Amino acid sequence: MCQWCDKYAEGYSRWYFNPANYARKLYKIRKDEGPDLEPNPIVAGGMSLVKQDFIEALDRKDHEAIAKHRHDIEQLAWRVHFGQVVTLEDTLKVIDFIYPIALMTCACRRSMLGLPDEENFTCMGMGPGMYKWERWPDTYRGGLQFLTPDEAKDAVTKMNQRGLVQTLFTFGTPYLGGICNCDYPDCSAIRTTIDFGVQFLWKGHHVAKVDNDLCNGCASCIHRCQFKALSFSATQEKAYIDQFQCFGCGLCVTECPQEAISLVERSSLPALANVW
Amino acid sequence: MLPTITVDYKKCLDPLSCRKCLLICPTHVLGLGTRVGPRKFKEIYRSQFLVAGVRFEKCSGCMDCVNGCPNNAIQVSF
Repeated sequence: MCQWCDKYAEGYSRWYFNPANYARKLYKIRKDEGPDLEPNPIVAGGMSLVKQDFIEALDRKDHEAIAKHRHDIEQLAWRVHFGQVVTLEDTLKVIDFIYPIALMTCACRRSMLGLPDEENFTCMGMGPGMYKWERWPDTYRGGLQFLTPDEAKDAVTKMNQRGLVQTLFTFGTPYLGGICNCDYPDCSAIRTTIDFGVQFLWKGHHVAKVDNDLCNGCASCIHRCQFKALSFSATQEKAYIDQFQCFGCGLCVTECPQEAISLVERSSLPALANVW
Repeated sequence: MLPTITVDYKKCLDPLSCRKCLLICPTHVLGLGTRVGPRKFKEIYRSQFLVAGVRFEKCSGCMDCVNGCPNNAIQVSF
């Protein structure tokens, strides 16, 4: 069971299908609640929780210090700002009941690639906070583009086709305020999670599974995985998915021309039901 | 082994326009940060962006950024 569903689903099948989680704690991150972090160029792109001493501990393989750093970062992130991978199908369902939705520029890609605003509209904000987003000039860079539900669905679907993973982010948990469209290595959430083993981004409610009888080894799925879970078996000439590493986004599924990859419910697999 | 990546900000003046080092780095180590951070009602100007070795744990020491910087502003040492 996903612990966020446990706490915040309130009868809905997933916590992110509960409309209350898009309104309840609206922008209630108070100063004493949020992280007290000094601006520092070295932690650009949302890496502010990963500090130099954590990276040094990883470098010298100080497992005790590593565990403590991971624990501290996760506790703070889960209270204030963390994400979960969602399938395109689930994202479209969320868009059906959330309004307004606005497209904005991605802070991660601005930071890691210096991407010009006009090429960088991949981030989506949700909820009434969008009406006053200009209060935050740095994230308002390039302006906002308000979308109708159909336009939002179209935008998300196109980004999914491009190979970007859909993720939902809290802003003062459980308040969900953003649909991000991420890819490795420039998304700091994926990078923090994959590179540092910090559970900043939670796996989704599904797991991908290859049907070896249907897979013809065309390898067109291989580039789709952003989580280092998908590789190609040279011996078998088939796609191989490490299900324990799979985040269940479904990007490989939609790319497979043979329909050889399917998404199964995480809860249906005993060994994976609690792997988040 | 972790590197020390230093950028001479007297030489690197407009990284948001240049971004050569950001695009040249094979492991996406370099990033753009600021010393002011996101603040309510506060604009961050282009001139306030600074290049830094944000993901320095992934630096292999290839020196592509050092050699590729048109202003000779980056130094990497181990």
